[in-house]
Amino acid sequence: MIRMYHVQKKYGEIAALRDINLRVEKGEFCYVTGPSGAGKSTMLKLLYGAELPTDGKLLVGGVDVSKLSDRKLPGLRRNMGIVFQDFKLIQSRTVGENVGLALEVIGTPRADIERRVQAVLGIVGLRGRGAEYPRMLSGGEQQRVAVARAIVNDPSILLADEPTGNLDGAMAIEVMEILQAINLRGTTVLVATHDAGLMERFPYRRLRFEHGKLVQS
Amino acid sequence: MHSLQHILRRALRSLWEHLYLNAMAALVIGAALLLMGVYLTVQYNLNAIVDTWDRDVHISAYFHDDVPEERRFAVRDQVAARAEVLQVRYVSSADAREWLRDEVEDIGPVLEELGDDALPASLEISLAPEASSTPEAISAFAKSLEGPDFEDLDYGQEWIERFNAFLSLLQLLGAVLGALIGVAALFLVANTVHLIVYNRRDELEVQKLVGATGTYITAPFLVEGAAQGLVGAILSLVGLWGVHRLLVVRLQEALQLGLAGELAFLPWPYRIALFAAGLLLGVTAAFVSVRRFLATAP
Repeated sequence: MIRMYHVQKKYGEIAALRDINLRVEKGEFCYVTGPSGAGKSTMLKLLYGAELPTDGKLLVGGVDVSKLSDRKLPGLRRNMGIVFQDFKLIQSRTVGENVGLALEVIGTPRADIERRVQAVLGIVGLRGRGAEYPRMLSGGEQQRVAVARAIVNDPSILLADEPTGNLDGAMAIEVMEILQAINLRGTTVLVATHDAGLMERFPYRRLRFEHGKLVQS
Repeated sequence: MHSLQHILRRALRSLWEHLYLNAMAALVIGAALLLMGVYLTVQYNLNAIVDTWDRDVHISAYFHDDVPEERRFAVRDQVAARAEVLQVRYVSSADAREWLRDEVEDIGPVLEELGDDALPASLEISLAPEASSTPEAISAFAKSLEGPDFEDLDYGQEWIERFNAFLSLLQLLGAVLGALIGVAALFLVANTVHLIVYNRRDELEVQKLVGATGTYITAPFLVEGAAQGLVGAILSLVGLWGVHRLLVVRLQEALQLGLAGELAFLPWPYRIALFAAGLLLGVTAAFVSVRRFLATAP
């Protein structure tokens, strides 16, 4: 699912990632971990095309992301779901509208959007909450809405950047259980986190970064 | 088809949610178009006045005193036979005195003192429209009359040329002014739209992250821009009509200019041009603003 060959990312003279070689297979669950500033978020940004590598080759689902043009970026992102620490929900839109956005941008008919949104809200435990606004929900619930939006179009890969960073213990576990369930349905899941407790409770492969280098995979 | 529905729905929603900013953008476009419209109205009416004068070009050719009357009639007939000439009238010295006596009150004693031949005999020549379409053509015809028979030729050449030069200058100024107003309006509207984009930056960023194309993100803003442009054009025409009724017509009445009948309101082709300019302004400003945002969004 993911192939990285000698990938490097520099910001001016500062190297955020150095000579990364990596394979992640379809259906795997991996943590991207390491201390702050180790390169976890940069790694995810390269995967969803927000940044291009300075050097090396990066394939995601067979797509060469290292040379991705702006025109081809939407195609890549339609096949992946992304979850952020700060949820990135649109406050002026209802929960249902937020979740349905990924389907709306590809021109899905409204009736199909409605049906699919109800189904994924059920998966994340928010059935019947589609008409509420994000500000009416708890942090954990908002993150579950973000997860629902990320999986509504059945992506083959799900990237989560510190998805439990703003949540307390119980809520973090709830979100992890949902991610685990999504992975069991065949989606490749990469979670960037430095929460050691969470990684022990849900033990999966760890990709550990230090000073931009992959030191454990 | 479904994408089009989503785009229109989002555009209408944004128009409503950002009513104040959209109204501001429409007002800026309206103000710019109003200025352009005032300029176009002035120029249109001046051109109409010049057209009227051009259609009625008149040359007075004054005979030397020593040219015998038979020769004067012969010259009149020669001139009348020319294709450029619509009509020729011989005005004798006595006719000129009579005319002046009728036109100017209390001039009789002055004319008596000056004697019978104080005013020269002349040919009053009206030119056909095709011979008087340009100042150059009129001047060429007048020059062809020069010779031993005539003492002086009067056809307001200098005046017509000056007025045409003034019109050319006005056109140049209008083009420069129009370009400046257009750029200023584009800048103002683009910044107003930028505020709308800024208010919606989270939404646009999320749209991009879930795989929306640049076209999909930009399209609703173009619809909004078009709506701003159309409303702006309507506002400018209403404003222009007000300016026309309140200022132009009243000014004309007050000064009793009577130059070319009632000064005309902007005709339909110009109005359509104002609508097109409004659309272009609104859509371009929206395009520039959204593309500027998308270039920096993750």
